Amino acid sequence: MSDGQADLLARIPRLDLSRMRGYPRQDGRKGIRNYLAVGYLVECAHHVARRIAEPFQEQGAQLIGFPGCYPSDYAHRILEAMCTHPNVGAVLLVSLGCEEFRRGDLKETIARSGRPVELMVIQDRGGTRTTIDEGRAFAAAELARLKAAPTVPLSLAELTVGTKCGGSDGLSGITINPAVGHAFDLLIDQGATVMFEETPELIGCEQHMASRAVTPELGAALVAAVAKADAYHRALGHGSFGGGNIKHGLSTVEEKSVGAYAKSGSRPIVGLLKPGDRPRRPGLHLMDTVNDGPVRLGIPNINDTQTVTEMVASGCQLIVFTTGAGSVVGQAIAPIIKGVSNSRVFQRLSDDIDVNGGTIADGQETIQEVGEHILRKIVALASGEQSRSEALGHQEFALAYKTYEPAGPACFPLG
Amino acid sequence: MERRANIVKLAAADNVAVALSDIAAGEMAVDRAELAVTAREHIPLGHKIALRPIVAEEPIVRFGMPVGLARAAIAKGMLVHVHNVRSQYLDNEVDHYE
Repeated sequence: MSDGQADLLARIPRLDLSRMRGYPRQDGRKGIRNYLAVGYLVECAHHVARRIAEPFQEQGAQLIGFPGCYPSDYAHRILEAMCTHPNVGAVLLVSLGCEEFRRGDLKETIARSGRPVELMVIQDRGGTRTTIDEGRAFAAAELARLKAAPTVPLSLAELTVGTKCGGSDGLSGITINPAVGHAFDLLIDQGATVMFEETPELIGCEQHMASRAVTPELGAALVAAVAKADAYHRALGHGSFGGGNIKHGLSTVEEKSVGAYAKSGSRPIVGLLKPGDRPRRPGLHLMDTVNDGPVRLGIPNINDTQTVTEMVASGCQLIVFTTGAGSVVGQAIAPIIKGVSNSRVFQRLSDDIDVNGGTIADGQETIQEVGEHILRKIVALASGEQSRSEALGHQEFALAYKTYEPAGPACFPLG
Repeated sequence: MERRANIVKLAAADNVAVALSDIAAGEMAVDRAELAVTAREHIPLGHKIALRPIVAEEPIVRFGMPVGLARAAIAKGMLVHVHNVRSQYLDNEVDHYE
């Protein structure tokens, strides 16, 4: 045991790291789940893929896919990252047959990663019924194999964790979000890799973020990423701030930002990621969620789930999601832990929420204590326990058209 | 004895505090320390109350950071929200404000 880990165990009561287990992968990463990903490569194959996965959803079949028929390097990159994600042990791809998706390339990449993969083209297999039957036979065989796969010990340093907020309220920034920030500080101090996201929801925080960057060049890249988000949303005529935020007490996008930013904790920022980029070192990263280039293809991320999908594509084995109004979402491929900012919504949606940050506003617990609850919950999930959204069968997944340029050298200053 | 706080002031420089529960018009808004201000209107949970008179165009400061500008003068004890605060970034005059 490292000195840092011994110190953590001494400081935080009821923290048991001994039961953390991972599924080892060929690329050196470890999964906290051993899922079968069932991916449709166009909306026309969605129904067949869903019917294949449906009977097996409690046994670890996870439905993902891309609805578009036109080619998209971005969507290809995200689905490739999903199908070779550490939480995925085998893949079934379902294609209609005439869509533009480069299905052969995707299958080859998955096979090279050491995972069993099958590609079923509906037009070549006699249609809906035969593809469902053959798909289910493959799923049943693979899931039996995945269930029997051996696990190895897992440490906090081997975790990649992302955080996202959805339906923020006036208390998010003073209760649950800083508690996540505290949990992130604890994780980083143990060598973990973490990420926060959504440059449109950090408008106003860019200079403070730059001051936390490990190099001036990265600081400038963080400022530029937020400026890009601001310009993009001005051109769209719709910012990441709306009626729900206003109803719950937030007055401006910059006020929402200050609250969202609290999730990032206090450690230095070591990198700026684009969706699907793998962090190259441990520590805190920002994900740039807005398209590069001119405004086109619509709103960058159509909902909270697409943003979470992007962080999972960058390797997060689990996500901490905070809410004020009361989100119920889960996620395919990486489980979600949900925290809420206020006790009123916790009581109303207690079946859906894992951690109540409202106790901070109620004066019953400190930010540090709730942060420790979040850390214990992360450890529990990495020890095989289910989160609320997992137990309820949530498997949200969203992918729409976007365009990105590759990240520049300033984004990964320490190599 | 620690009193039952219904607002929190997040940084020394702040000119607003955040309501930790619904506060009725006329009720005292108090934090865990010495702060006390009479709410001049209903301040719902998670919303902001002016801790001192704020002049037009003055920054609204929460957590030590500017989170908007006052559209007009705001009296001590009043609700501070989209009707009297504008963003320095994106427009926040959204018509579905309830």
